Amino acid sequence: MPTMEFEGKTYEVDEEGYLMDWSLWNEGIAAEMAKQDNLELSDAHWEVIRFLRDYFEKYQIAPMIKILTKELAKKYGKEKGNTKYLYELYPAGPAKQACRYAGLPKPTGCV
Amino acid sequence: MSSERSHKAEKVIERMGKKLTRQIVGSLAACVHCGMCTDSCHYVLANPDDPTYAPAYKADRIRKLFKSHYDWTGKVFPWWVGAKSVYTDKDLEELKDTVFGKCTNCRRCSINCPMGVDLATFNRMARGLLVHVGIMPEGIAHVAKEQWEIGNQMGILREDYLETIEWQEEELQEEMNDPAAKIPVDRMDANIVYTINPREVKHDPRSILDAAKIFYAAGEDWTMPGEGWDMTNFALFNGDDDLGGAVANRIYDKIEELRGKRLVISECGHGYRSTRCEGPNWGKRDINDFEIESSVITMLRYIKEGKIKVDKSKNPGIYTFHDSCNNARSCGMTEEPRELLSLVVKDFREMYPNRAENYCCTGGGGAMSMPEYRERRLKSGKIKADQLNATGANIVVTSCHNCVDGLADLIGHYKLGMKVTQLVNLVANALVLDRKSIGGGNGKKPAEANPALSGIITP
Repeated sequence: MPTMEFEGKTYEVDEEGYLMDWSLWNEGIAAEMAKQDNLELSDAHWEVIRFLRDYFEKYQIAPMIKILTKELAKKYGKEKGNTKYLYELYPAGPAKQACRYAGLPKPTGCV
Repeated sequence: MSSERSHKAEKVIERMGKKLTRQIVGSLAACVHCGMCTDSCHYVLANPDDPTYAPAYKADRIRKLFKSHYDWTGKVFPWWVGAKSVYTDKDLEELKDTVFGKCTNCRRCSINCPMGVDLATFNRMARGLLVHVGIMPEGIAHVAKEQWEIGNQMGILREDYLETIEWQEEELQEEMNDPAAKIPVDRMDANIVYTINPREVKHDPRSILDAAKIFYAAGEDWTMPGEGWDMTNFALFNGDDDLGGAVANRIYDKIEELRGKRLVISECGHGYRSTRCEGPNWGKRDINDFEIESSVITMLRYIKEGKIKVDKSKNPGIYTFHDSCNNARSCGMTEEPRELLSLVVKDFREMYPNRAENYCCTGGGGAMSMPEYRERRLKSGKIKADQLNATGANIVVTSCHNCVDGLADLIGHYKLGMKVTQLVNLVANALVLDRKSIGGGNGKKPAEANPALSGIITP
């Protein structure tokens, strides 16, 4: 099993770098994962990550993009509630990139 | 010996007898071990010192079993023809590692075999035998289960699907500045029934919006089906013909219920092959009442018939095209995507080798759902990465969702700095929306299109 080192602790991740146990996640891990992708997380990135965490804690599933955009629009305004905005923040796609930073498991199927 | 065999091994052998078709037996019997297949496989090219990746070697893992139980040569002189059975669950696990983890069923070896051995076809059969006894990668099991139980490979509920379409309809109305613009669902007698890959609903609906823009601009009488809308079919990957028939029939039943004239499949290689080429066989069904075509052909027809107008200059950049194995090698769709691409971009550069000889994106055969083999997959992608790099292009276009992800992964891993997109995104972006040319338009000027490419993925 591959692992990820952070602040002296070792975390198990899957072959694509998704955290194996979502409950071990902390904000530092997200920042570290982003850093490895040469990305510094802005407030806008954090808004998405925090929403994904809350949703996953409630439902144990990653939200569909429809729900993600709707909720972001409700919370932070219409200009943040659309697909284009999300792909500008996370060019590899919110499903893959943002979910990974948020400690969620890899989405399944053709993604 | 049979008393020493595990229950699962017993079942695998028994089922093999039921799955042997003339095509498969021909392929199992015909190999002369000439080695022509060796250099055709991307796994071999990336692992020249490992003979276990050679297509003939992989084929022999399955051939041994066939010789041992179903071929007279193996009964008369087993030592000579290499007949060897499976006995334990560990043997089956080893077989799993070969048939799921060392081959993407891309069929490049098949078309380069002078004897016509179609390894991918019986590799798929072998996967099906293992799936039948519950031996398969977890990701494959999960997706197949969703397709069996919920009706689509991502477990999307009907209301979520419908709401997503509604949402895209609102976006369409806004972008087209036309409150009458629609994405119809379950409209009867439509000219086109448009089916998609569930990832378009769950993760990236930009391609639904782009397709809707094109249908809108063409004034097409189209609809999306309320059910049977998932044109992907994991049976192509897991070898379960029963699943294949169930999924394909769901789509065909719906088209017939709606009395649709043409079933159009969005850009997805395995979906196109499954729904158009394999589905009627799996579903034991004749398709007489409607035609089936790829959206690539639909879009090309619109431009040729003057139904939509496009402006190449809206798509700046240097483009290359990656042929999906299922579209090009297995279904012969090689020229239409190139013709279409040349109509919507100025700078298109061919990748070599191409068309039916193109190398796999490395994500084929369900490989993107098997993270346990990721390291092998990325290593085998060296040949594809070199191919991409040599084009000098900065954007690679492909008509397959799986290839989009496979390529994006390689581009990231090999640091190629390229982007990936699909034809639907390029056509939608190049649209010239002239009110006179839009069927049912209200004469208002549409809102300016976003200059940034819409469906692009940056690894």
